[in-house]
Amino acid sequence: MSEAEAPSPFSGEKAPASPRADLVTAAVLFVLGVAIVAHAFQMPRFVAQSGTGLTAPGIVPGFHGSMIALLSVLLGVRALRRGGLAARGPVAQGGGDGRRLALAAVLGVTYAGVLVGRAPFWLASALFVFAFTTAFEWNEDPSRRARRVAEAAAIGLGTGLAVMLVFEKLFLLRLP
Amino acid sequence: MTDALGMLAGGFAHVFAGGAAFHALWAVLIGIVIGALPGLTATMGVALLTTLTFGMGPNVAMMVLVCVYVGAIYGGSRSAILLNIPGTPASAASTLDGYPLARQGLAGRAMGISTTGSWLGTLFGTLILALFAPSFGEFALQFGSYEMFWVAMFGIIIAGSLSGGDPLKGYIAGFLGLFVATIGQEANHAYPRFAFGNGDLAGGLGLLPVLVGVFGVAEVLSSMRGPAVKAVSSTIDSVIPRLSDIAKYWRTIFRSGALGTLIGAMPGLGEDIAAWTSYAAAKRASAEREQFGKGSVEGLMAAETGESACVPGAIIPVLTLAVPGSAPAAVLMAAMMIHGLNPGPMLAITSPEFIYQIVAMLIVADMVKLFYGLVLVKPLLWILLIPRERLMPVVFVLCTVGAFAITSRLFDIWVMLGAGLVGFVLRELRFPMAPLVLGIVLGDLLDKNLLRGLVLSGGDLTPFFTRPISMALCALTLAAALWSIPGIGRLFGRRQAAMPK
Repeated sequence: MSEAEAPSPFSGEKAPASPRADLVTAAVLFVLGVAIVAHAFQMPRFVAQSGTGLTAPGIVPGFHGSMIALLSVLLGVRALRRGGLAARGPVAQGGGDGRRLALAAVLGVTYAGVLVGRAPFWLASALFVFAFTTAFEWNEDPSRRARRVAEAAAIGLGTGLAVMLVFEKLFLLRLP
Repeated sequence: MTDALGMLAGGFAHVFAGGAAFHALWAVLIGIVIGALPGLTATMGVALLTTLTFGMGPNVAMMVLVCVYVGAIYGGSRSAILLNIPGTPASAASTLDGYPLARQGLAGRAMGISTTGSWLGTLFGTLILALFAPSFGEFALQFGSYEMFWVAMFGIIIAGSLSGGDPLKGYIAGFLGLFVATIGQEANHAYPRFAFGNGDLAGGLGLLPVLVGVFGVAEVLSSMRGPAVKAVSSTIDSVIPRLSDIAKYWRTIFRSGALGTLIGAMPGLGEDIAAWTSYAAAKRASAEREQFGKGSVEGLMAAETGESACVPGAIIPVLTLAVPGSAPAAVLMAAMMIHGLNPGPMLAITSPEFIYQIVAMLIVADMVKLFYGLVLVKPLLWILLIPRERLMPVVFVLCTVGAFAITSRLFDIWVMLGAGLVGFVLRELRFPMAPLVLGIVLGDLLDKNLLRGLVLSGGDLTPFFTRPISMALCALTLAAALWSIPGIGRLFGRRQAAMPK
């Protein structure tokens, strides 16, 4: 049974995650759950202060961690029963989709993680909006590219200045 | 009764005297635009607008956020009808009959039906809120630590069971949310959990940056990934609703209003489930059920009434238990706390008039929504045509501002990015987001009440199961969990994935 044919446990569900993806997710979640429990065990119990140890900081996260581990085992077992090991790797999504996603993620992280805080916020935002719009519209009709780039620059500059004016001057908020 | 009417009049006076009603004009419009644009959800809208309200008084801030919430849930129907893409998840059921109507050249009539259904739905839900929230709030005063623990647990389990198609993933998402809420200093000994010596982590992960990440950044990534969509037509027939539609389908309107409000009042379920359930119930009861999915006026009316009645319904548990009924209501609740309004059982004692102020705000928002629904047809069509390549980077900039503004920490921007990437991956793996959000919001409530209960009982677990309300809540929680187990659910006639897709 290939992954594409593996039945969803929920009839009518749109495009369920593949059994292989569920199996890998279950493994990651199990490790996370166990790590949470292990860390919760290492937390101090404060028995001297509370008298009973019932206010130990690790009790609640330990409970959550054990539930995550337990439920991930159930998810893993279900994925195995759906053919998670036997099936081949997931069918690759369209390469264009992946590239668009990666581009959006890289631009977003560069802006929020690198530019913001280092450059003036209006400038960082203007550059980001300009780069994002230009990059995603680059492959459309080449004869109108120059116009689109100019429009992207205008939108970027407009966004940077408008955000600064509205948030900083009008609503008196601090910007990064 | 006289007291209630007096307080309702006071609520309206409060809304109009402070000038807050004026803000409804722009806030509802922003909400409708946010809801109409695919990729921008009501939760994200309320989260982003919360940033703008920091400098406002609590009265105006709540007015703005309630209006955005009401507007966004309604706005989603525009893209559902014209693009066959739900502008918010709540409008998914509206695509089934709204889009076929638009393809038949009846886009205007479909929008008229959606406006009428949504208006009546919110009005119905608000009436229920006004009638029942105060007395339920007084009943909730009997809830102690043991009961509040079960309320939080019930919220996670019921949201996990019903908010996706897959209860197992729903529960995992809920417990992941609860875990995220434990990061940072805990209340009893100020011990920094999972901080690893990092001062920022010891302060905990802010609710707003996490929500903006999960609903904003993840949405931006999702919408940039898929193909672009185009409107079905640029010519619209009359949007003026027909009274005959209301007269003919009054039973559907009442049923959907009641179901929508009830589902809203259940912790964490939200507008999308309200719409699907109302749609399914209308289909079962309808004499013209073969029309459903092919452009049924009744189907569209049911979905719209249900989702909009859910909005006031979701605010009922916020005001009475400090437990949100939906994801946007969770953000609204966070905003209430930021503005120093403490929702929960004590509200019935400290400021009972606040419930009626919210009722007045909902009614004003509903009226403004009706006005825009009938007047703004062409401009909303143009807004739908904005290319996502130009819209999404601007949304991302607003997300960044929203995450930073509350505490002015660059760390919060990293939290937003991390939550966005994790939220996107979880969505791709079909984990529902509502239990995750509910877990993050209810984590603190569960944590404090479990430990407080254990301390009060000297480590004895029996009060969690033997006190009358605790026992009932525990039984409800167990029933909800057992219901989701396929074999047991089938024993009681539960059909898997009964909701139409």
